[in-house]
Amino acid sequence: MATTTMSASPAPPAPPPKAPRRGAARRGPRTTVMALPALIWYTVFMIGPIGAIFVISVLDWPGMLARVGFAGLDNYRAVLGDQLFWDATRNSAVQLAVAVPTMVAAAFMLGYFLSTKPRGHRVLRVVVFTPALISASAKAMIFWGMFAPNGMLNKVLAGVGLGSLQHAWIADTGTAFGCVIAVDIWAGIGYTATLYAARLDALPDSVHEAAELDGAGHWRRMWRIAFPMVRDYVGVTVMLQFLWTLFTSAQNVLLLTQGGPGNSSTNLSFLVYQKAFVQSDLGYSQAAGVLLFCLGLAGMLLIRRAFRPAY
Amino acid sequence: MATATANRPRRRLTLGRGAAYLGAWAYALMLLLPLYYLVISSFKDNAEIFADPLLPNGSLSLDKFGTAVRDARLDLALLNSAAVTLCALVLVLVLAVPASYALARAKGRTAAVVERIFSLGFLVPTFAALVPTFLLAAETGLFYTRTFVVLFLPATSLPLAVVLLTQFMRTVPDEVEEAARMDGAGNWTILLRIYLPMVVPGIVTVLILSFLAFWNEYLYSLVIIGPDQSQRTLQVAVPTLRSTLSTDFGVLSAGTVFTLLPVYVVYALLQRRMEGALMGGAVKV
Repeated sequence: MATTTMSASPAPPAPPPKAPRRGAARRGPRTTVMALPALIWYTVFMIGPIGAIFVISVLDWPGMLARVGFAGLDNYRAVLGDQLFWDATRNSAVQLAVAVPTMVAAAFMLGYFLSTKPRGHRVLRVVVFTPALISASAKAMIFWGMFAPNGMLNKVLAGVGLGSLQHAWIADTGTAFGCVIAVDIWAGIGYTATLYAARLDALPDSVHEAAELDGAGHWRRMWRIAFPMVRDYVGVTVMLQFLWTLFTSAQNVLLLTQGGPGNSSTNLSFLVYQKAFVQSDLGYSQAAGVLLFCLGLAGMLLIRRAFRPAY
Repeated sequence: MATATANRPRRRLTLGRGAAYLGAWAYALMLLLPLYYLVISSFKDNAEIFADPLLPNGSLSLDKFGTAVRDARLDLALLNSAAVTLCALVLVLVLAVPASYALARAKGRTAAVVERIFSLGFLVPTFAALVPTFLLAAETGLFYTRTFVVLFLPATSLPLAVVLLTQFMRTVPDEVEEAARMDGAGNWTILLRIYLPMVVPGIVTVLILSFLAFWNEYLYSLVIIGPDQSQRTLQVAVPTLRSTLSTDFGVLSAGTVFTLLPVYVVYALLQRRMEGALMGGAVKV
């Protein structure tokens, strides 16, 4: 962490304009076959499993070694009639509504601030980049220690006279899921801010100069001048954060709370995991998985539409 | 003042800017504090951690690291993580480089569709797809082995690798290739001698992002490799240092620092390229 030689403006590898092409007549020997191994690999490990989610969701499969039967829509009926599924859906909705906007708004403000090259911005950039390096399991171990009954958070609260706020943070129904969301936001702001800073750095200098001469204050410059220029890029990051939060962030649930206490921190992705690997009901798990996938797809299309260029 | 724009004039510290300074450094502190706590805790006993959470105890004894390595066999896990990451990185390049070459040169509809399919890779629901992938591992007899994860991980990186490298390869002018073809060079010679050297920055980006993804992968390694100490990776081994009754937080912290060190070493060496890579990876969707 001592080195501060990070480039002030990392050159993003912007795709250069496509070179002009000759007609197909001058094309060399066929090369399409060279794409086959990658395509096969991708089909077996990525597309195949997605298809299999749909297939398993209509099977009666009560355990890894059990006999498999056809269930039709029974699994979907079981899922939609299950209070736990709706609780998990509510948790996922809360998580998305809190984490994604907080992350994106804070990250944009931080990224914009970094792109104006304030004093100390080199050190700041190195620190802000840190969360991108830390694995989910290391992150969870760090916060497991912080949130422990005797951990740093409680000790610091006691130290500043807020001892009454001390808590068994991840063992309490009221705060467990909040802790999971906090860890996501903690890491997500830094990662996304780095992206925004680099993107804003890539804007021509004249934009920043014009903004300064304009006489507008920091806040106005940030939201009225810088934001519209990278709006489409913000849309891309919102979409990626949305899908990541919905599909992948349950790693924190798995590592920190196991969905508990009770089911207070179970979100949709964790429910899919728990039903398959703890309760061995593969049909239910994958029916919920199909609904989760459709939710992700619908959300993605909505976000795309919301951030579509206005012109 | 309008003429003095070559060097930006020093800005006045307005209210908005002051708030931004405050917010940025407050967040930086929130990032550093847990890491500081982690590092100092890895030299302390539970009693010391609980009594003075924010003060180092002055010791630089590596006892906790030794205990962590012995208890969770982090030495084996380190080798496993290194082997899995390296093999998967090689495999990504072996698969993605020829594919990108083919897609960059192709002009037909099929190629456009294939490229689009690769670019939608971020739509895979990680937790839901885990179940079929687990069944696939069981079916192929590669369950509870590193081998399956080595084969699986490159597929997760292919969307990024193929899309990015195809973009880079499109920038190689046709004329260069035509000249080589006149000299009788075949597809593979052209790919390896002409294209490969010209797309090195793209390959570095792919390698850095895939390294971070593979080294840090947790979920699939946990479920598919399982608890066998001779097979499991670092990310799976370290959380086993917890216990429900009495966790030694010093040992857990030391183990966590142990998993972070290799990443920070790579970061120290490739700092500038890493930030660029992160940026390049999120550009195209």
